[in-house]
Amino acid sequence: MVLFSFVCDVLGYFTHNTRLFEVGFWNIFVAAIAIFVAIIFGQFEAGLAQVYPAVQPTLNFHTVMGWSLGAIVAIVTAWRFVIRNRHPHKVPPAYLGTATFLVCLVLLQVYLGSKLFWVYGLHVEPVVEAMKQRISP
Amino acid sequence: MNSQLIDQLRLRLGINGLPYEIPMHPKLVHLTLGLFILAILFDIAGAIFPIERPIFKFLGVSAIRSGFFDVGWYNLIGASVITFFTVAFGFFELILANPPTDQISAWGLNASMTMVLHGLGGILLLGAIVAMTVWRGLQRYHWRKNESRQVQWGYLLVGVAMFGILFVHGTLGGQLGSEFGIHVTAAKLIQQGANPSLLPK
Repeated sequence: MVLFSFVCDVLGYFTHNTRLFEVGFWNIFVAAIAIFVAIIFGQFEAGLAQVYPAVQPTLNFHTVMGWSLGAIVAIVTAWRFVIRNRHPHKVPPAYLGTATFLVCLVLLQVYLGSKLFWVYGLHVEPVVEAMKQRISP
Repeated sequence: MNSQLIDQLRLRLGINGLPYEIPMHPKLVHLTLGLFILAILFDIAGAIFPIERPIFKFLGVSAIRSGFFDVGWYNLIGASVITFFTVAFGFFELILANPPTDQISAWGLNASMTMVLHGLGGILLLGAIVAMTVWRGLQRYHWRKNESRQVQWGYLLVGVAMFGILFVHGTLGGQLGSEFGIHVTAAKLIQQGANPSLLPK
């Protein structure tokens, strides 16, 4: 949602299609709510995961990034909200710059989370089974 | 797929069976889902706008009815475009999959059945999403151009039904990763008898 909000705001900025600003606003608005649901589930599942030493640094990084992104998305959304209230048909370049940075953080966070599942196999059945056998022989 | 055929592709495959570390299809599918679900939810919000107007007033968020329909329309276009990539990567990664043959999923299906259903379902869903975009476009620019409610109730009903289909379809896809361990590096290492804790950090 952050990604699509960014795409809409950038397209709106360059094409002067001001409808896209409304689309950009609502997408990040929902993202700001959804990210806290994501953090809560993430904490819950991280707590239940079979964490082995190789995973720990990635999991810690993912956790810190998750909470930070929660705060950053909330702040950026508040800023987007003020922009929309003052000038519904304009988005300042400073906002687009910040949003670009935010998109990079989101992509990094997606990469970290993907690594936990697709590389380290957290909550993947064959891996969980193998772990159980090793711990309780 | 036949391993000799895969060799002919001359791809440098990692332990996970892919030429890259993280499968792309499961990433893209979240864009498809997010965009599609928001598209329908915002159209619903637009359709029942008179009911929720006081809520937005109370919250101090200025909301315009046509704005909600704009979100519904542009998010749906986004979903249509991205889903072509989702399905394309899905098939690429499906071809390179090397699932275990001795396991049954929580739904009692083996890996090949799950793969076939998920692959066929993917094409049908791509068709359905594109068809809904055309339908939505006709409502927006022709049939209901001058109506205050831009979408038909039938369209919203189909949209909600799609949520159910997407849920079933997504669960099948999730089982391919989380139960059969397809393209999961640690699972492949365990199959080969290696210890995943030796994975690089």
